[in-house]
Amino acid sequence: MGKLFERFPDPLARLIVVVVAMVALGAFAYFVLIPKPVKDIEFQWADAVKTEKARPVRYAGFQVCEECHGEIHNTKKTGYHKDLSCETCHGPAKAHSENPDKVKPNIPTARTFCPQCHAYNPSRPRGFPQINPVAHNPLKPCSSCHNPHDPKPPTTPKECSACHGEIARMKAVSHHVQLECTTCHQAPQQHKVSPRSVKPTKPQAREFCGKCHGKDATDKLAKNAPKVDLGEHGEKYVCWQCHYPHSPEVEQ
Amino acid sequence: MNPEIIRSLQELLPQIQGYIYPNEIEIHWGLLIVVYPYITGVVAGAFILASLVKVFNVKEVQPLYRLSLLTALAYLLVAPMALVSHLGHPGRFYEILLTPQTSSAMAMFGFVYAWYLMAVLLLEIWFVHRTDMIDMAENSTGATRLLYRALSLFSKDKGERAVAFDHKALKVITIVGIPSAFLLHGYVGFIFGSIKANPWWSSVLIPIVFLFSAIVSGIALVVLLYMIITPLTGGKINMKCVDKAVDFLFYAVIVDFSLEMVDFIHRVYQSEEEIKILSEMVMSKLFLSLIIVQVLLGMLVPLLLISLTKIFKKRFSLNEDMRKMVYFISVILIQFGIFATRWNVVIGGQMFSKSFRGLTTYKMEFGGIEGLLYAIVLLALPIAILFVLMKVLPPWKELREEGETGTEALGGAGM
Repeated sequence: MGKLFERFPDPLARLIVVVVAMVALGAFAYFVLIPKPVKDIEFQWADAVKTEKARPVRYAGFQVCEECHGEIHNTKKTGYHKDLSCETCHGPAKAHSENPDKVKPNIPTARTFCPQCHAYNPSRPRGFPQINPVAHNPLKPCSSCHNPHDPKPPTTPKECSACHGEIARMKAVSHHVQLECTTCHQAPQQHKVSPRSVKPTKPQAREFCGKCHGKDATDKLAKNAPKVDLGEHGEKYVCWQCHYPHSPEVEQ
Repeated sequence: MNPEIIRSLQELLPQIQGYIYPNEIEIHWGLLIVVYPYITGVVAGAFILASLVKVFNVKEVQPLYRLSLLTALAYLLVAPMALVSHLGHPGRFYEILLTPQTSSAMAMFGFVYAWYLMAVLLLEIWFVHRTDMIDMAENSTGATRLLYRALSLFSKDKGERAVAFDHKALKVITIVGIPSAFLLHGYVGFIFGSIKANPWWSSVLIPIVFLFSAIVSGIALVVLLYMIITPLTGGKINMKCVDKAVDFLFYAVIVDFSLEMVDFIHRVYQSEEEIKILSEMVMSKLFLSLIIVQVLLGMLVPLLLISLTKIFKKRFSLNEDMRKMVYFISVILIQFGIFATRWNVVIGGQMFSKSFRGLTTYKMEFGGIEGLLYAIVLLALPIAILFVLMKVLPPWKELREEGETGTEALGGAGM
């Protein structure tokens, strides 16, 4: 130890040497060995930014869709799905926006798609429309009853469901969900006052159901309905004597 | 969901309850992050025990002084391994020191750690063992002599002035060391406490609860090591010392328990929207680790056991073996309890969904870097390091200072 260090106690002098050596070593490493750009945070991030920039853009954004599909946009903007972007359901559409004729975006029709959000799950928020995909109109694509751009749940008139709630709930998940109660039943005004003495009508002829389910049915609603030959199928009976119309069991 | 992801999560998916967000199915902070606060806790606790001797002049625990310091060092060396192993790029850990982000609590930890290691623990251990190292260099030959000479920084001065400086320096370092130890472990609690999006962690009491549980685990571990090492090396356990250390442990457990209860009562009284899911989590997923291991076995049973030795003081003071057994069981239970505390904070905080409507689950791996085996290695490593440290810097001098048999004869004999 030099003369300067003799003024300090021996352990302190030795520690000072060690600390000075370490600081000098650290400073040498920091200032000399490490190139300046490496210490720059922007330099460290440069590669990450470059990688992100190099990734292909696949999404177009809903504003681009609006340019051509203004009508759908107008329908959607007030409906329940107004907060969903077009590409949420239709997938990335950048390629479609650049070449609309050649590249078509996906239209999800599989019954597994909508239940991703609407399948029954007890922990989903109250009031959120949920269905049991197994019991709720199986085999039918969701869009055959619900317009995905303006989904409104089919409703039974309140004046019917007030007393016939059970039927209303059953019908709500059946193939006949789209039919108004009054399609099949004529309910006189008096039925609401004295429901037991004045009853609504029931279809009395096989031809009534045949309008949709007859072999030659032309009704627009009957496009996907199961068809039978009324001449050969249970000719002695009115249809509802065998088939419960609020939850028809026949599958396509 | 992607079928590949479903396949990889098929063991977890059936165990999920309620509605959780898709990114919450897998828990990202696993066993290593549980091990990490446990280890830093031991470091802080062991150092606080050591400071009882130097700062607060508690003569009875003098035999534990060197052992506590070496324990703290052994555990401190392993502490960052858990974090660095958990990183996606462990080879880049030094960047945190090269380009520090002053706004990042994690980055600042690097400096707190370095400060604690270099300026507190190593320095204190060096001053404590300096004269011994000079002695050992003089009494040995060859490589050993060179090792001790290097360790003592080639000092040969055992004069009055140098020794007086050693004592003065030790006191200053310990005084600086106490807030540093608090900072080291308080910071871990600070990280958890400042994640305000997570109601299980977001509490101002968390750093303080962490601190007291650290003190509890550190003292308990050093007592446990002392009670195991001393008989193994042919010494006699100094019951006066153990009694006093357990006294401090007892008070620390009471404070720790009270703080946790205050936190718990505050949560229940406040009853914010998360209370339902948290209570469901505590009663289902964390029942064993929180209610049984942490509270019952880790706190209430040791408190009861130690209380018994105080209530029936006469009976216990006559029967030293009985007292030893009660202490031994208590400190082991406390270790499990504190480990469960860390587990419940780290894993518990990630088990409930941000939707507050569902609970996910933690599937522990056995092998791999995040697995049980590696965690066991990390927990065993400090013991191995301590073994080496004790060989190089024997703590026997003070470990047996007031021991009854063969104190000096065995001094420096190793294990």
